[in-house]
Amino acid sequence: MVNDLVVEATDLHKEFQRDAFQVIALQDVQLTIQRGEFVAFMGPSGSGKSTLLYLIAAIDRPTRGRVEVLGRDILQLKERAVADWRNENIGFIFQTFNLIPVLTARENVELPLLLTHLSRQERAEHAATALGLVGLSDRMDHYPRQLSGGQEQRVAIARAIVSDPSIILADEPTGDLDAQSAQEILTILSRLNRDHGKTILMVTHDPHAARHASKIRYLEKGQLLPEGSPQPE
Amino acid sequence: MFRDTLGLALKNALRNRRRTLLTVASISISLFLLGVLLSVYQAFYHQEGPPEQALRLVTRNRVSLTFSLPEYYEQQIRKVPGVRELVPTSWFGGVYIDNRPENFFPRFATDPERIFEVYKEFTVPPEQLQVFQSERTAAAVGKTLAERLSFKLGQRVTIKGDIYPMDLELTIRAIFESDVENQDFAMYFHRKYLEEGLPQSRRGMVGTFGILADSAEAVPRIAKQIDDLYRNSERQTKTETERAFQLSFVSMLGNVKVFLLSICGALVFTILLVAANTMGMSVRERITEIGVLRTLGFTSGRVLSMIVAEAVLISLAGGLLGCGLAWGASGFLRQSQLMLSGLSFSPPVFLISLSIALAIGILSSLVPALGATRLPITSALRHTG
Ligand SMILES: Nc1ncnc2c1ncn2[C@@H]1O[C@H](COP(=O)(O)OP(=O)(O)OP(=O)(O)O)[C@@H](O)[C@H]1O
Ligand SMILES: [Mg+2]
Repeated sequence: MVNDLVVEATDLHKEFQRDAFQVIALQDVQLTIQRGEFVAFMGPSGSGKSTLLYLIAAIDRPTRGRVEVLGRDILQLKERAVADWRNENIGFIFQTFNLIPVLTARENVELPLLLTHLSRQERAEHAATALGLVGLSDRMDHYPRQLSGGQEQRVAIARAIVSDPSIILADEPTGDLDAQSAQEILTILSRLNRDHGKTILMVTHDPHAARHASKIRYLEKGQLLPEGSPQPE
Repeated sequence: MFRDTLGLALKNALRNRRRTLLTVASISISLFLLGVLLSVYQAFYHQEGPPEQALRLVTRNRVSLTFSLPEYYEQQIRKVPGVRELVPTSWFGGVYIDNRPENFFPRFATDPERIFEVYKEFTVPPEQLQVFQSERTAAAVGKTLAERLSFKLGQRVTIKGDIYPMDLELTIRAIFESDVENQDFAMYFHRKYLEEGLPQSRRGMVGTFGILADSAEAVPRIAKQIDDLYRNSERQTKTETERAFQLSFVSMLGNVKVFLLSICGALVFTILLVAANTMGMSVRERITEIGVLRTLGFTSGRVLSMIVAEAVLISLAGGLLGCGLAWGASGFLRQSQLMLSGLSFSPPVFLISLSIALAIGILSSLVPALGATRLPITSALRHTG
């Protein structure tokens, strides 16, 4: 296929102005991700991992450089278009699950579909399917507070995949979970990658989690180490 | 789309039930007060008089009501085109029995031949009218007044003079009636009888002229033309519609209009602050969630409308409740006759109150919602608290 490049970042640079001094979060990052890859990003706190995901998801804008995602120059999109684009193409998973507490599991999962033209009925079906995929068919009408952390994160995954995006970005998805729940989440992500062809970019601190990925990339002080670099000390 | 936004807004509104309940309660109490005040305001200033009132004017001394006009003005005013009929009336004042408010009622010296020609909404049985007109010391009383003070036909009534140096010895000969509530709370007697009892020096003066115009359109022109007649005379006139004239009584109580409106304004402002504070609080708690929604593809406009819809739901709930209370209270006050008999929580007042509730919802949430949705998504996501 001609366009199997899912992410192509060139000279990606991000600085934050904090009070008097500048923080360089990302420094001239070159990154390409192929369709179907499962890439883990590792690195110390503050090395720019989250920032990288945010730039790829068009949640934030780089100070300079280019990002093309799915062949699209996302920096050219206006707010409205960016929102639609993200809704369609990106599923985002947070460390802290970030479910809406007043909505049931099903309603949380349906949220991204409210922005589509699907009927009520279709939305309910899609949500049920997504919740089925993460093994929560029997918890659809539970509220987040009635679920365990692992279950909450599974709902969050269902929410991320319900609009069938081709890219899943996960920022430390197992960071707040016990070993067993973490394993469940990693299994689900692996399956989404293997069986459903999702391209996954996952930030993690956990070497065990990183082993589920097909590739590990290291970040250090805002710099992306060359592919194949060993884990820095 | 709209329905989903509303559904989300409703769920968000019920998130913190106690806070929502308190907000609804405080908005409803304020709107209850506002509704009653607006009803009072309306009863004073916007109540429809009888249809005949649109055709009537009152001419009085320009200086103040306590100054009088020469009776010969009548002949000149009658010649003004468009004037169909006019009648002199003078406020007698005086004391009936004693000074207790229960025994107070308005009494006017007037021309018995013409008073019911100008005040056509009063109906008098013809035989009573005839006796009233032919007997020098006869008095006509309104039905409401007659009921309140148990006046009977043939009853003799003594009124001690204070403004005028004479006492009246009257006999009630007619009871007139009006279909407009409380319009007929007054007594009329012969101006001739008053004149005869006065020293020469005080005769020939009139308090006001009540004027009946040919058409409502002619009213403003008549007013101007009459006042122009006396522009250069020693006693200038002020002619206004009867409605405006009645309002000038109300304003003798102080500037009721400004008073009522400023209380209403303060009330609205206070409740706006309370609502804005609550909405600000509930938005601040949800900054991260707003970041999450926007990550999912919700535009800031969408999130904004959700927050505003939530506030509007809360304030409309409070508004409706408050209006219900105001409606009940107005009915109670009207029946108990403690206050204005014309007091009613009317549809316009209802609409105004509800619009104010709507505006409070929008205004109170707009600022925090704008602040939260304008925040970069990354800052919203990093927000703690
Ligand atoms: N909105 C911001 N304003 C100012 N500085 C920021 C902002 N976001 C990130 N930074 C800074 O940029 C650098 C990279 O942050 P980032 O969140 O990408 O790190 P990270 O690798 O995800 O760290 P962690 O593992 O702790 O999540 C840090 O020094 C951080 O303090
Ligand atoms: Mg991070």
